[in-house]
Amino acid sequence: MGSAPRTLEFFYDVLSPYSWLSFEILCRYKNIWNVHLQLRPSLIAGIMKDSGNKPPALLPRKAKYLTNDIRLLGQQVQVPINFPKDFFSVILEKGSLSAMRFLTAMKSEHPEMLEKASRELWMRVWSRAAEKAGMSIEQARRILEKTSTPQVKNQLKETTEAACKYGAFGLPITVAHVDGQTHMLFGSDRMELLAYLLGEKWMGPVPPVVESRL
Amino acid sequence: MGSAPRTLEFFYDVLSPYSWLSFEILCRYKNIWNVHLQLRPSLIAGIMKDSGNKPPALLPRKAKYLTNDIRLLGQQVQVPINFPKDFFSVILEKGSLSAMRFLTAMKSEHPEMLEKASRELWMRVWSRDEDITEPQSILAAAEKAGMSIEQARRILEKTSTPQVKNQLKETTEAACKYGERSGWALCLQLWNPGFEDAQRKQSHWGEPADHLLTMGHWSSGLPSPGDAGQGLCGASSMLFSWLLFLLCL
Repeated sequence: MGSAPRTLEFFYDVLSPYSWLSFEILCRYKNIWNVHLQLRPSLIAGIMKDSGNKPPALLPRKAKYLTNDIRLLGQQVQVPINFPKDFFSVILEKGSLSAMRFLTAMKSEHPEMLEKASRELWMRVWSRAAEKAGMSIEQARRILEKTSTPQVKNQLKETTEAACKYGAFGLPITVAHVDGQTHMLFGSDRMELLAYLLGEKWMGPVPPVVESRL
Repeated sequence: MGSAPRTLEFFYDVLSPYSWLSFEILCRYKNIWNVHLQLRPSLIAGIMKDSGNKPPALLPRKAKYLTNDIRLLGQQVQVPINFPKDFFSVILEKGSLSAMRFLTAMKSEHPEMLEKASRELWMRVWSRDEDITEPQSILAAAEKAGMSIEQARRILEKTSTPQVKNQLKETTEAACKYGERSGWALCLQLWNPGFEDAQRKQSHWGEPADHLLTMGHWSSGLPSPGDAGQGLCGASSMLFSWLLFLLCL
């Protein structure tokens, strides 16, 4: 394979369970497909506001649908998603501003830890079992200090605006740069279409594990 | 494989392009998986009204997204989908009431032709940008599906009977009940052809917003303000791998 890896920009918010599903699938495929996965922490609240959209859970029938959808997809994709008991307070009240600022700061300071830290935050919000991200207390503290700086606030804002420029009305979105074209794909259910556009093989949401690319 | 086939109830409306994608994938799999595919012609306008949802295309950014999404999925799923030139008029003004009543009648009279007739209607509106509201349009689709002109005319006559109107209403209500009861439905979703505009353009339908009035408890006017969630329901392969997974449980 002599060609350059194709860039996938993955915009996500840990408040979004579908973002978690997408994230895990992409993390599995990043070492299988000829791609460069770029994680871009964003704020779903900002996307909603800018696009004029509303969280699907505000429509009762959708709220009901997606609780079951998430549960089943969690099983199929093998991600330990559980709906938080206080779902509406988590989504609508608590929000994810601090968490996403934290991940934005993480991306600048310790990009190699961004994947694990994101997963850790999803685990806290969307799963009862929390793992450790493997970060020292000192490192975490330093990063936490940076979340209230103008730089970090601006960076999160810019990333969210970038997603909006790509046409986002929600999260997750995966922006694939393939053969001089740009494709924005919304949702965790467009992975097979992504494979098709990349000319890669789709092996379901849980592909066989491979060694990292050298 | 000695066990009984699992029933898949597929609720759809030919006005919905995502329904077409789903339909084709399910038709391909019905002879591969141990399932019994039950086609259930429904009215997406009714589903939207009953659920309080709105067509995704009413949100500008979603309208833009889905035109491209449909085009790419059409290529990937190998279904010859093309967006009609005057897409909003097709969806929001013309709608699919006659077509879905016709398919409802077809299901009673000639169920073995329902699949082909459905496909021909999709081909008209979602591939060749042709009308599906006029009687001659519907007859043309039926003929292309392999019906004789006499058979087709006989079915067309039934579309204005109370039985057919009620059957469509009941099927659509059944879809809504699935939405309330279990929260998941193998259904079309989220793609509305503007019942609001249908109400405004009563004369265009040739009868006073009949399909809304006949839907009993749904005749409570427009959806409540502040109703949200214009989600996108894609007929994607994820849905089907999900379905396969579910069937294996």
